[in-house]
Amino acid sequence: MSKPVVLDLKDATIRFGGLIAVNKVNFNIHEGDLFGLIGPNGAGKTTCFNLITGVYTPTEGDIFFKGNRINGLAPNKIAARGICRTFQNIRLFGSLSVLENVVVGGFLRHRTGLLSALAYLPPAIHETAALRVQAMELLEVLDLADVADVRSRDLPYGKQRRLEIARAMATGPELLLLDEPAAGMNPNEKEDLAETVRLIRDNFGKTILLIEHDMKFVMNLCEKIVVLDHGEEIAQGPPAEIRNNPKVIEAYLGEAV
Amino acid sequence: MNWPIRIGSIVLAIVVCFGIQYLATTMLKSDGQRLVALAGLYVTLAVSLNMINGITGQFSIGHAAFYCVGAYIAGFVSLRFFQAQPLQPVLWLVVMMVLGAAAACVAGFVVGLPSLRLRGDYLAIVTLGFGEIIRIVIQNTKELGGAYALDKIPAIREIWLVWLLAIVTIAVSRNLLKTARGLAFLAVREDEVASSAMGVNVTQIKVTAFVLGSAFAGAAGALLAHYETSILPTTFSMDVSFIILTMVVLGGSGSITGSALAAVSLFYLPEYLRSQPPVSGASLAAAVIVIVAVVAVLRRIQHHYHGTVAKKVGLYIGSIVGGVVAKLILGALFGLIPAFAKASYTGDKLRMVIFAGTLIIVMLLRPQGIFAHHEFSWTLIRRLYDKVRGKGAQGAPA
Ligand SMILES: Nc1ncnc2c1ncn2[C@@H]1O[C@H](COP(=O)(O)OP(=O)(O)O)[C@@H](O)[C@H]1O
Ligand SMILES: [Mg+2]
Repeated sequence: MSKPVVLDLKDATIRFGGLIAVNKVNFNIHEGDLFGLIGPNGAGKTTCFNLITGVYTPTEGDIFFKGNRINGLAPNKIAARGICRTFQNIRLFGSLSVLENVVVGGFLRHRTGLLSALAYLPPAIHETAALRVQAMELLEVLDLADVADVRSRDLPYGKQRRLEIARAMATGPELLLLDEPAAGMNPNEKEDLAETVRLIRDNFGKTILLIEHDMKFVMNLCEKIVVLDHGEEIAQGPPAEIRNNPKVIEAYLGEAV
Repeated sequence: MNWPIRIGSIVLAIVVCFGIQYLATTMLKSDGQRLVALAGLYVTLAVSLNMINGITGQFSIGHAAFYCVGAYIAGFVSLRFFQAQPLQPVLWLVVMMVLGAAAACVAGFVVGLPSLRLRGDYLAIVTLGFGEIIRIVIQNTKELGGAYALDKIPAIREIWLVWLLAIVTIAVSRNLLKTARGLAFLAVREDEVASSAMGVNVTQIKVTAFVLGSAFAGAAGALLAHYETSILPTTFSMDVSFIILTMVVLGGSGSITGSALAAVSLFYLPEYLRSQPPVSGASLAAAVIVIVAVVAVLRRIQHHYHGTVAKKVGLYIGSIVGGVVAKLILGALFGLIPAFAKASYTGDKLRMVIFAGTLIIVMLLRPQGIFAHHEFSWTLIRRLYDKVRGKGAQGAPA
């Protein structure tokens, strides 16, 4: 385990009024990890993502990305540092096409100015064309190339989830956060997704942190898992350990797993 | 990029603008010419507001304020310096447009930055307030004419330039949407949280759109000042803002051509009404009743009928024809009632009623605006045609 630490949460905490949604959570993710974040509904998993991506600022504690403190930065600044996410309650740009959604993900790579775009000058034209080509490549990876021109709102659910991943990938992140990427998918789709996620890690060299409720999916895919309950971290370790941890079984997995 | 086509279309645009000017000056009297010029200004205003409200999804309701800023700055400077300067009048007018645009830019930035950083509809309230502040400031500034007109502005009437500005505004909007950078504006409209998660600086995009839209309104203001030669604070009242907003909403928020077409139609509507003979109370009452009924029927068909598109369109047309017949019969019946028959209303008086009524009807039947976010083009027409004709296979009940 000599790989460098990418993400490091130090006592990350956030209160909403009296509710402590995330309470002194500590974990760190190394480069190339496929890391799972699990826990019952309302445990604070999505809120953790919101803390990491700057939607909320921790009330206590710190978050470091590659050694630099990122809490307090605006979401777009954090995206520029190399963290991108998908949303549990799908947030695509509904009236844009599938391809256009991914092109927006390439926004951080824009170099030409506004004037060039307004006058439709060659730099803007070429950049747009290049971003579309890159977007198309990502759509191939996520098996969405055939629906590139469909309005994203009209996609079936499973494809919308994949498009969320394609769009996030387009920002060129080092760390990819996936919030329940398999929710609402059928077993076949889930299997394909697991393969794609692994491919993204192996071939694109991304570090991945994912939230998921489907235990089979998480246990097969992730190499390390953190378990949250009521905002507190109750266990951490490889899947085999988590599966047999009595605290986890009591809080979340139940007897049957 | 295809330079020959590009240069060709620029030349064509200029030729069209001169064509409009030529036709207007040879065929119309001066008040008719004025309407052609004002229509062009309204196209600029509607299309520039569409950049803010339609494309970027903000809600500015005080667009006339920036029109006002441009007009007063340009009018004031021209009044003082036009005589002493060496430029050709047309060139001077272009300089004044740039000045008006720059002033409106600054105003847009000052108004937009604080309000666009906040969430929610602060922008609406702030832009509305800004319009009132500008009006009061002008009314209390002697140098700007106070409550009276700022007049004796040198007359430089170039209809072609008015329409060229309109075309440039349309072209700029369209260019923006064709580039990757412009997609970020649409993304902000669709979902701010997701946009910022993708690295888009949401505030920057919103302020950019706002400042850009304001700039075009300012340039339009400069043209207005030199066309009218006399401007009043009430020239830019809330009514004007409301009309521009109606144009954008009716045309379909986000549709550039929709905004432009709605601008021309809504601009000429009152002029057309003014030229119409007064209508009787009977006819008006019959029309209102029938319109309400027809709208209700159309809504039912829209939401509850699931046949083929062709049949649906048939039903729409049927209900409208039925409505026209019903209106004639009802009007004749009402005409028997003396109080109804005697009352009469001029088109001019009904202007605002018709505006508001149109807005309500469009909101009920097509909340996304007539063109929604589509652009008017031959492909759109072909698609619609295909939809009506060839829908049989696709639209059959499953
Ligand atoms: N903005 C907010 N204001 C108040 N409470 C919140 C807010 N966001 C999340 N919460 C609360 O924090 C808790 C954790 O929510 P969440 O992180 O969405 O859970 P999950 O683990 O299911 O993703 C929930 O009780 C939720 O109601
Ligand atoms: Mg959640």
